[in-house]
Amino acid sequence: MNSTNRAANRLLIFVCGLLLLVVGAAAAAAVLVPFVRDAWKDTSGQVTDQVAGWLEQTQLAGIGVSWLLIAVVALLVIAIVVLIVFISRQGRGHTGIALTDPTSEHGSTVIESSVAEHALKDALDAHSEFVGSHVSTYKVRRTPVLKVSVTCRRGVSPKDAAAIVESKLHALDELLGRELPALIQISGGFRARVTKTTRLQ
Amino acid sequence: MSSDNKALYARISRRETHSPRSLLAIVLAVVLIVVFAWVGTEVVIALLGLPALLVAPSDMFTSALGLAEQPAAIVAAAGIVAAVIGLVLIILSLSPGRRARHVIDTERAATVVDNEVIASALARHASYAGNVDPDNTTVSVSHRRAVVDLTPTSGIPANRDDVTEAVTAQLDAYGLRPTVRARVQIAEKAKVGA
Repeated sequence: MNSTNRAANRLLIFVCGLLLLVVGAAAAAAVLVPFVRDAWKDTSGQVTDQVAGWLEQTQLAGIGVSWLLIAVVALLVIAIVVLIVFISRQGRGHTGIALTDPTSEHGSTVIESSVAEHALKDALDAHSEFVGSHVSTYKVRRTPVLKVSVTCRRGVSPKDAAAIVESKLHALDELLGRELPALIQISGGFRARVTKTTRLQ
Repeated sequence: MSSDNKALYARISRRETHSPRSLLAIVLAVVLIVVFAWVGTEVVIALLGLPALLVAPSDMFTSALGLAEQPAAIVAAAGIVAAVIGLVLIILSLSPGRRARHVIDTERAATVVDNEVIASALARHASYAGNVDPDNTTVSVSHRRAVVDLTPTSGIPANRDDVTEAVTAQLDAYGLRPTVRARVQIAEKAKVGA
């Protein structure tokens, strides 16, 4: 429901995994395989000279510090900022507005999502099939979508639970004069497990 | 409106039945932030000519290159552990990450149901059809299969066909996607006074 970029999540996990796999395998190979070990020892001297040469050539006049190191610090800071943005973008997508009517000559109408949320929650709490309910509104592809999650008492048929919520949604459609897309999430969980089993309906 | 909603509902249903892998991604991002911040701080400290916090950048560099001279057992073990963690991460990033949920066909909304709810509804009907105490009925629902385990009361045989029929009728009525098949197992040994 939320606007989390799942492809980005998976990409980050994949890149980290690939990096660990390559580095780990290289380290293990460097000490275990004699051929790799010799090659590693040969190249490590060259790499040290090469990097020392670069640091020498890129000295900044005046301070005697290579700008390569400063660039490395700058890259690290940019990477940290990108990662913080990445974390803060998780789980977003709530919206406070359920409906906006196009402006007419008499003005415009905006219906806040709390109207729909409270109406549904009140209607659902009256039913003994549910031990709890929660209604929220998300924006999915620029359309506000209601998320109605209900926790069922043990033994309630999911079909019946869906039918009850759907009837409340139809009533809400009548009230608003417009059909809001909706998701019904029927769950069990701890609260369902510790409450009484449903009576036969 | 309903044709737009179909695409919308398909997207929502897919996202609700699969894990976003958010927790793992956030943990990795935090670890990376800490490592980057530490390396950056060490570099800045080295540039200022102050003593290093933990390891100076030049020491990091030389010890990474001089890996082959370090004790082989430690390096090999650490490398293999890192490679295995990397492999697990790659598998997690590519696997679908299904949640224990099913989609129900409804016309007004997209509906997802936890497997737990399906199981407890099936258990109620199975115990009623098999004339078994609800406490002696166990149902587990997975992606494509529902396994019903009944332990009958001594002296009162449970009819397997009745139970299978009742459970199958319930599953058909729910209209789950993907479809779930029922398998009923009745324990050989009954319980006394259950």
